[in-house]
Amino acid sequence: MRLILKLLSLTLALLAIASLPARSHAAELSLTSSTQYLWYQDILADKKENDVAQYLRVNVTKLDKEGKANIYAYGRASQQVTSDEDLKGRLYYLYFSYQDALNNHLDLRVGRTYVHSAAVSGTIDGGFLEVKNLGPLGITGFGGREVLFQDKAEVGGGNAMSGASVYLDAPKTTHVEVSYGNKYRSSDLARENVGLDYTTTPVEMFNTYGRVKYDTIGDKFNELLFGIKLAPLKDLLLKGEFVETRPTFDNNSIYAFFAVDRYREINGSLEYAITSAYKFNLKYAKEYFGEDADANVYDIGLWARPIPDLTFNGSYEKRNGFAGQLSGFRFDAGYDIAKAKIQAGIDYDDFTRDDSRAGTAKKYWAGAGYQFNKLIGLTARVEWDVNYRDSDAWQGFGAVNVNY
Amino acid sequence: MLNKKIIPIILLCTVFIVVIAGLAFAKTDHKDFKNSRLDDCKDCHNGAAIVGNHGGTREHRLLAERASNNCSDCHQQSFCLDCHNGGNVDVSLKKSISQTGETMPTTHRSDFISIHPIKAKDDPQSCYRCHEQRFCSECHAKIPNPGNMQIKGHTAVGNTQRYFLVRGDSAANNAAHASEARRNLQSCEGCHPDGRVCTTCHVLSPGAKVFKTAH
Repeated sequence: MRLILKLLSLTLALLAIASLPARSHAAELSLTSSTQYLWYQDILADKKENDVAQYLRVNVTKLDKEGKANIYAYGRASQQVTSDEDLKGRLYYLYFSYQDALNNHLDLRVGRTYVHSAAVSGTIDGGFLEVKNLGPLGITGFGGREVLFQDKAEVGGGNAMSGASVYLDAPKTTHVEVSYGNKYRSSDLARENVGLDYTTTPVEMFNTYGRVKYDTIGDKFNELLFGIKLAPLKDLLLKGEFVETRPTFDNNSIYAFFAVDRYREINGSLEYAITSAYKFNLKYAKEYFGEDADANVYDIGLWARPIPDLTFNGSYEKRNGFAGQLSGFRFDAGYDIAKAKIQAGIDYDDFTRDDSRAGTAKKYWAGAGYQFNKLIGLTARVEWDVNYRDSDAWQGFGAVNVNY
Repeated sequence: MLNKKIIPIILLCTVFIVVIAGLAFAKTDHKDFKNSRLDDCKDCHNGAAIVGNHGGTREHRLLAERASNNCSDCHQQSFCLDCHNGGNVDVSLKKSISQTGETMPTTHRSDFISIHPIKAKDDPQSCYRCHEQRFCSECHAKIPNPGNMQIKGHTAVGNTQRYFLVRGDSAANNAAHASEARRNLQSCEGCHPDGRVCTTCHVLSPGAKVFKTAH
């Protein structure tokens, strides 16, 4: 109940702000609401559950004449109606943004907002600032309480996150960035990373990008990524990547004592647009898990739009090696008819887990939407699942959507 | 001696930055292209810089986490969070619902519970970009009779409970257990979040590095 009141007060406050004339200038308000009824098979409760969820996204923009000051908010409240579970909610973000201050040299965000860098990223209750256009250089900094979401609600407390980066944007779409970030759990330093990102396109047909992320507490590389892209023809893209990652743990975790193996992957892919209506892709990845364990993954896909408003998307994946084997395809199609749209798809996977279970997992789904006018629309989706746990499980949702 | 090496490096870096600064360019504002189709992007991005759908899974992460990214020219933060934090305000029909009632991104194919032990191995760290470790442990903790789960590394002796009862088992089985732990330590944490089960056999002390070499 408290959450509903909070969301209502937030909406009213934002509506009030939007309707206030500021120096004879009225702010603009846009609101997106989706009221959804969901039904699904709850694996933990081992019974069917029904939820009602209310999404609300509110943007109050152009608070000042120049349009530099804006407020953005997005949240969800959900209630399980088939149990006595409490109302749950997530406030994904609520922040005030001021852009291009100080002669286009400063961007600022304050409140609950998503922050990012190569070293750490996540949602915080705090602030983010970017000092930009210092020639090709820029600096960002952020810090605040880390916000974690789990089980339809917000969880955790006593966590903090901060970080900073220095970057250089140069011609040839060159970007180089060095960043630092840390996370605290209950006032103890749990994570500390240094990151380096780069991307450059020295000639139009060639691009390379990469990331190095170093865990200074564990004293090891957490991530290495290097990629190259080659576009010998306008509609053909060849890509190769080297990836190496290693699990890292909080400084106070017992698991930080243990040695771990690296995960390594070398992959190559091809994307080709036969015409603007038919696109084809092919990918192969060789995965290494340490101590002679490896796997091969093959992926092939086709996207087609034979007539306007009708699209098809299909892919097949084959994996064998460490951890198990998988062979499966995905297919979906969509058609837009004036104010209506229909979509449907199938997922089929034949799998064998190492030393464990084998079987098939099948998902058949269909959905439709109808937009009555600019303001109101209806959407519904139904899904039928057949797998080792359920031979006949149905789930889906219906939604009333409002865009103002 | 050290200064003799560092000074040229600093000088070179300074020259590099000054040269680059002289070539500084203005980034294109993409707000006017917000509603363009991806195909139309090729009118300008017709080389290898950014093509396709923002470069695919790994590359889009680099683009999005870049300090000076221009994602907000076209996308709101909800666009990111609806995949990474389970939401669906824009009501995508392609997104399925998890078996705990959350909206899932389309990367979670067929029945993800059936295949997650396999798919999670295709770059294990990718799971932790959206899920906290407790996401695994909270679900695994609620599994009825977890001692009967068939986990590689435990299965040499039948099940998880029995493994520890017969820990004096053969050297080969113990070695398999160690190998699996090294490859899948975050999976161990999924069922044993506090790791106390490790200390029933292994003695750890703060700062000790015993397992760094012994395992």
